[in-house]
Amino acid sequence: MRKYLLKRVFYMVLTLFLVATITFFLMKLMPGTPYSNQQKMTQQQIQIMNQQYGLNKPIWQQYVIYIFGMLHGDLGTSFQFSNQPVSYLISSRIGASAQLGAQAMIFGVFFGIIIGSIAAINRNTWIDTTSTVVSIIGKSVPNFVLAVLLQYYIALKLGWFPIADWGGFSYTVLPTIALGVGPLAETARFVRTGMVDVLNSDYIELARAKGLSKFGIVYHHALRNSLIPLVTLIGPYTVALMTGSMVIENIFSIPGIGEQFVKSILVNDYPTIMGVTMLFSAGLVAIILLTDIVYGIIDPRIRLSGSEG
Amino acid sequence: MEEKIKLNSDSFQPLAKSESLDNEKIAAPSLTFLQDAWMRLKKNKGAVVSLFIVLIMVVVAFGSTPFIDHNSLVKSAPKYANLPAKIPGVSINGFNGKLKVAGKWVDEYRQNNVPKDKYFVLGTDYLGRSLAERIIYGTKISLIVALVATFFDLTIGVAYGIISGWKGGRVDTIMQRIIEIISSVPNLVIVVLMLLVLKPGMTSIICAIAISSWTTMARMIRAETLSLKSQEYVLAARTLGESPLKISLKHLVPNLSSIIIIQTMYTIPTAIFFEAFLSFIGIGISSPQTSLGVLLNDGQKNFQFLPYQMWYPAIVLCVLMIAFNLLGDGLRDAFDPKTRR
Amino acid sequence: MKFNRLAKLGLVAAFSAIALAACGSKSTNSSMASKQVLNWNETAELPTMDLSTATDTVSFDMLNNSMEGIYRLGKDSKIEPGLATKTQVSNNGEKYVFTLRKNDKWSNGDKVTAKDFVYSWRRTVDPKTASQYAYLFSGIKNADAIMNGKKGVSTLGIKADGNYKLTVTLEKKIPYFKLLMGFPVFFPQNQSAVEKYGSKYGTASKYMVYNGPFTLTKWTGSNLSWTLKKNNNYWDKKDVKLSAINYKVNKSNTTAYNLYQSGKLDETNLGAEQAKQLSNSKDYVVRKNASTFYLQYNQTKKEFQNKKIRQALSMVINRKQFVNKVLGNGSTAAKGYVSDGLAKHNGKDFTDSAYVKSAVTYNASEAKKLWAEGLKELGVKDLSFTILSDDTDAGNNTTQFLQSQIEENLKGAKVSVENVPFKTRLSRSTNGNFDVVVTGWGADFADPISFLDLFTSSNPENNGKWKNTQYDKLIEASKTTDASNTTKRWNDMVQAEKILMKDQGIAPIYQQSLATLVKPKVKGVIYNSAGVNYNFKNAYISK
Repeated sequence: MRKYLLKRVFYMVLTLFLVATITFFLMKLMPGTPYSNQQKMTQQQIQIMNQQYGLNKPIWQQYVIYIFGMLHGDLGTSFQFSNQPVSYLISSRIGASAQLGAQAMIFGVFFGIIIGSIAAINRNTWIDTTSTVVSIIGKSVPNFVLAVLLQYYIALKLGWFPIADWGGFSYTVLPTIALGVGPLAETARFVRTGMVDVLNSDYIELARAKGLSKFGIVYHHALRNSLIPLVTLIGPYTVALMTGSMVIENIFSIPGIGEQFVKSILVNDYPTIMGVTMLFSAGLVAIILLTDIVYGIIDPRIRLSGSEG
Repeated sequence: MEEKIKLNSDSFQPLAKSESLDNEKIAAPSLTFLQDAWMRLKKNKGAVVSLFIVLIMVVVAFGSTPFIDHNSLVKSAPKYANLPAKIPGVSINGFNGKLKVAGKWVDEYRQNNVPKDKYFVLGTDYLGRSLAERIIYGTKISLIVALVATFFDLTIGVAYGIISGWKGGRVDTIMQRIIEIISSVPNLVIVVLMLLVLKPGMTSIICAIAISSWTTMARMIRAETLSLKSQEYVLAARTLGESPLKISLKHLVPNLSSIIIIQTMYTIPTAIFFEAFLSFIGIGISSPQTSLGVLLNDGQKNFQFLPYQMWYPAIVLCVLMIAFNLLGDGLRDAFDPKTRR
Repeated sequence: MKFNRLAKLGLVAAFSAIALAACGSKSTNSSMASKQVLNWNETAELPTMDLSTATDTVSFDMLNNSMEGIYRLGKDSKIEPGLATKTQVSNNGEKYVFTLRKNDKWSNGDKVTAKDFVYSWRRTVDPKTASQYAYLFSGIKNADAIMNGKKGVSTLGIKADGNYKLTVTLEKKIPYFKLLMGFPVFFPQNQSAVEKYGSKYGTASKYMVYNGPFTLTKWTGSNLSWTLKKNNNYWDKKDVKLSAINYKVNKSNTTAYNLYQSGKLDETNLGAEQAKQLSNSKDYVVRKNASTFYLQYNQTKKEFQNKKIRQALSMVINRKQFVNKVLGNGSTAAKGYVSDGLAKHNGKDFTDSAYVKSAVTYNASEAKKLWAEGLKELGVKDLSFTILSDDTDAGNNTTQFLQSQIEENLKGAKVSVENVPFKTRLSRSTNGNFDVVVTGWGADFADPISFLDLFTSSNPENNGKWKNTQYDKLIEASKTTDASNTTKRWNDMVQAEKILMKDQGIAPIYQQSLATLVKPKVKGVIYNSAGVNYNFKNAYISK
């Protein structure tokens, strides 16, 4: 197990290194400069500015400097916020995004499992149909449309929650729902499908024959086994939440990383784009590793080594 | 008395070959896998209705090609801008050219001096273009995006996942690393980079989808292949010396079909949403082309004043999604050998 | 200067401004609400408070309200007293002596002295600071040489005689010099604070000292809200009525409007559709800007060297319909390249004097004719090209409208549109990587030359490479031989614009405005169309 983990961590680092390399060189291909006023600046000024940002060195040197800087947690200086280190920009904004993402994930997965299980147990009844319709509608509405609707009807018209901004828990409710409905619908569908399969299988019949209670069967056998495909979805969920956060944070004016990322792209703030890309990548890679480990724990049939023989 | 059974000599003749098989004959006609699935699908009312909806949408969207082309999309009439829906003969508020302005229903057509015989079934956008036309065209573009994503899912995704899971060992490790790298770069970055090489529009979106969309499918297929690989029937097939290609086609793919279909049904909304998301940030389809995402995004900006501009594309998108989802469920029940009882 | 939503660049102009109702100083306390807190919407983050490196509107707005320079620009960019109590100008206009007031303090307790100005100006022109606005110093003695690294910063034409006397020497007369003194780049900086905070200077509200009507608080450097709080050390604090201005960044207009409706904001920007729908509201306020948006043709390409093609593309644009029906935010149809209301001579606006009707008027039939002739001259049947623009709402609306107008009316025209982020657009313009680009230009100062200079053949910002020797000669004359003769200089510039318009070197489309909603109880806010936009010094909330 330890050997396996070490190996995986090594690959993780390798992945991140490759991502850093590819992104770095692709960024260098992008047009535009950090200066909004280049034509008004003197040659001397541009030279000095290039020096400050390290843009005057050959690209391979910039690359080496970047990689080494990154190892020390130095992601360079932002182009749009003068003198602001990227690591500070990220660290000051990651909190809101992480909280929102975690809440949305918990909200989505928790209610998704409940709805999915109820639907599977009451298969082919009106409860099943209702929950299917609910989850399908949840999946069919783009989160920005949902966000706009929630903001208008729940926040402005009914006044139940704040319209926008970031403060206490009440500020997080609407964005969490808007962001979490996608995972909720997805989870519900997967849990239902998986559980229907499991409920039809022989060992459940056996359990039933043994006289286990309905709840016992669902909880001890069905749920555990139908959660397996769910685990593989956590990776894609994370990606979806990252992407979704860019839009949701924009609409609810939340000082998060996704919103920052979109802005950076629009103003060619390469160091910030690189920094956030690395952060997203690291998060994703870590989640994938975690997924694999968890997968091994809940389904012992899969050998952790993942290799043959 | 001895009872004698008279046995003729021909009683000892072996039966003709054809007759012997007759004994075992099953009354129902034999069905192929597909026929079997189709029968099951037909029993599912929701799925059939959905199938028809999807078919109608596909036919309308693609059938409109000769009528709604570049020229009709590019045509604008700012004098008819932002008119609500008007269907002649219908006098329900919302469909009679009236719009709720500051709490009162106002006849926008009269206000803007629109000729009596001129009407737009679903209203117009800010350049006075028919919303109905744009929604049909937008549906087509969204369907194309979905088809492209599905295509990559089914080809690259499935093949990649099976190979990776089946081969295992070093091959698997390398293939998984590649997936990790691809999926570790946010989609948005890929699109932005595509925009450098290509112009904004369909091509760059398709490229971005080609690069990144199939990874989830591949990962799920791999995971399932890993667990199928150690199943008895696969072991048996291997022991019998079946070639890996045959095993994967005969044993793996049918058993994976449920995952493949569900995942495809997951890919379609994801792809359509991805395109919509790009439109939201402003780097999606470029005009005069449009997509449901673009229309939704334009609509949500004016939601408080011109709600119809968001509702109509949203309804079309939702109906499309619901149809795809129900159809997916139906297909899954029909195809999946495991639920066959 | 190039215009966009993120960085509305440099500006020192003066002219039309919109102030809301009465001026604060005239008001009596009885008409004021007891709670003087304003909630203001902002569309972008505050990137820096270091006035030497600031480049965007938000930064300049915050600096203008939290710092004090020699002058403060009031309504209509009128010069109002700042730190200077007395100004002496030499006869040739090349030397200014300012006497500063003794009762203004930095928020760290230091007195504001002439040395703070010397330090600040030297810091800005020092190429090491890489200030993107240092070019405004051009004309002050040795500024250009210093920026080019040829002379030391100490040679800059600014000198402190004692603590409260400041002498500035110019290389030549600058007619708009006093206006410049109201621009934040020319404000003082406290040396001990700059040195104490080092690289952190100006990156958060606590790493900064203030001497203006307000001090900045609650800004961490990257967050989406901050507050301007009344500064009790300010020399004129009795005239500052607001106790605080709370800023909130809302990038979505819909969100901001929702917040406005619920009373959480006292002001909000409106998107195109919102503006159209709300234009009858009593809260509706249009902020006019000194900037013109126009089509720039890439004249290194053969097809756009053809005058008839250029004219056809201009005549096919129905500008009135565009601003009223499509943009709808109070923007006006362009009457020419130089923006309307920028400068007057003998009571006549520049735009009226230099008006060339055919260059900015919709005429579809003439356009069709010219287009057909143009294609014939080029020897082609059809012409496809790309229109490049920003990826903002206005940019998208503009390109879609143009595309439809051109393709509908001009046979054989095939237009594709590209909407890219501002900086990408800028770099593509600079590199000549475009066919036709929709671009904007805003006045640096209230003189037509600020616009016209752009299209001389030697100007590095003349991205379309339009060339006309007569035009170059007239502009040169306005700067040299006719510089002292106001009428001659004026006529030179009018002639130049007429040449540009008659040749359709560019096709002006609209003059930009910003549509906003402001609660009627908010009074005394000063908005200048160029230079720093907002001045809240005398703003207050009425009952």
